[in-house]
Amino acid sequence: MITFDNVTKRYPGSHEAISNASFAIEQGEMVYVTGHSGAGKSTLLKLMAAIERPTSGTVLINNQNVSKLKEATLPYVRRKFGLVFQDHKLLYDRNCFHNVALPLAINGITGTEAGKRIRAALDKVGLLGKEKAMPITLSGGEQQRLAIARAVVSRPSILIADEPTGNLDRNYAEDIITLFTAFQQVGVTVIIATHDALGQFNSGNQVDPLNKILHLDHGTLTKTEVSA
Amino acid sequence: MNAWGYSWFSHHQQALELVLRRFKSNRLNTLLICLAIGVTLALPSILYAVLDSVNGLANNVKTESQVSVFLATNNNEDTIANIKGALEKNEAIKNFEFVSKQDALAKLQAANSNNEVLNSLEDNPLPDAFFVEPRQLDTASITSLQAELRQLEGVGDVVVDGAWLKRLSYLILLGKQAMLIVTSLLAFALVAVIGNTIRMQILTQQAEIELSRLIGATKSFIRRPFLYAGALYGLFGGLFALLITFIVIFLFNRSIAPIAAEYESDFLLNMPSLSTCVIICLLSFFVGLLSAYFAVSKSLLQTPK
Repeated sequence: MITFDNVTKRYPGSHEAISNASFAIEQGEMVYVTGHSGAGKSTLLKLMAAIERPTSGTVLINNQNVSKLKEATLPYVRRKFGLVFQDHKLLYDRNCFHNVALPLAINGITGTEAGKRIRAALDKVGLLGKEKAMPITLSGGEQQRLAIARAVVSRPSILIADEPTGNLDRNYAEDIITLFTAFQQVGVTVIIATHDALGQFNSGNQVDPLNKILHLDHGTLTKTEVSA
Repeated sequence: MNAWGYSWFSHHQQALELVLRRFKSNRLNTLLICLAIGVTLALPSILYAVLDSVNGLANNVKTESQVSVFLATNNNEDTIANIKGALEKNEAIKNFEFVSKQDALAKLQAANSNNEVLNSLEDNPLPDAFFVEPRQLDTASITSLQAELRQLEGVGDVVVDGAWLKRLSYLILLGKQAMLIVTSLLAFALVAVIGNTIRMQILTQQAEIELSRLIGATKSFIRRPFLYAGALYGLFGGLFALLITFIVIFLFNRSIAPIAAEYESDFLLNMPSLSTCVIICLLSFFVGLLSAYFAVSKSLLQTPK
């Protein structure tokens, strides 16, 4: 689904954010991208989502080479992804419903069909009762779930989340991970970047959906772990 | 409608709804911007109405314009008859009237209470004259008629009474050119006003624009609402301009009516015709659209993809 071959990303005037990364992600996998702050996790996710292009190497998304795509076709590639940003990027000038409506609007879906999908997405994350609420009135965990609802509303085949549990306490974090697991179980490829020790929310009687860990150390992929 | 067509239509409808929603939530601002555009556009519109009306007035007066043919003083009956025959044959002449020098003197005496000077004259100094009403009233044909009449034997001088008319038409022409210049300068001002407004909106929507680009919005999707906003500002501004023009002309006509009556004239400024209204609205619509396009293209280039 997503294949990296010797991918290097260097920002102008900076060191290599990603060096020679090679890996493949298959459909339906749950992938954790781990590593310390500044290890290049966000850059890796941006490369996966066709937001950044590699400096060298090849990024294939559904067998399309991102480097060779025209600028004008990139938006259409990006629509395959549901993105949950580190800083949520919620729009505070509109209510929850309209926040979730944006990806559908971009896809040209409006009206009752959009309304149905938006409510379904809000329902999935447990925010159905808050569709008229403004994002600023939500708690941190609720804002995160709103961001997830927005990411899944256009039914993407790949869900990418950057530090979705970053500043949540353990209970909230577990809720969020459970939510992602639920999406993975219906066939969505889920990619999560996290600096947390994984054991923190994988211990106990939680199911272990872990398929793959990509561990980054200063931009270099140090281990690719596949658990059964 | 196929899927692509549907999506295209839906995108446009969506952008329009979004813009109208933004206008509604920002009513006062929108109103002020449209008013500013309206006032800017009203100026050339009123100027146009004034020029148009004065032009009409000048055209009316022209029908009264005459060419005076003064004969040389030493004429006999034959030359007068010859000239009369030539005038009758001339296609360019609609009508003419002969005033002999005796008649002219009598008229002058009748009109002048102080007859001492006139009575002291030994000879009648006035020439015989024909007053000619030309068929064509434009400058070119009057000038050629004047030249033609000068060629006739026994003609002393040919004077066109409409010299002031000529000046007036030059003034109107000058006014029209001034209007064009003012209009184009104001159009630039409009581009600046609308462009700045759109730029401000882009700044306030920066978060949405950035997010939209990240999750797969095309450039045109992002551009579209701003283009609609610019075009609508222009259109509403144009409607305001018409409203202002109609009100100003109405008020002006109300105060000019008694003055015009004193001059036994029914001079009134013409209200803009339907086609003028349509042209003003279209013009402001496109100026709005264009300035929004420039503003958005510039700002979008600056946004990192």
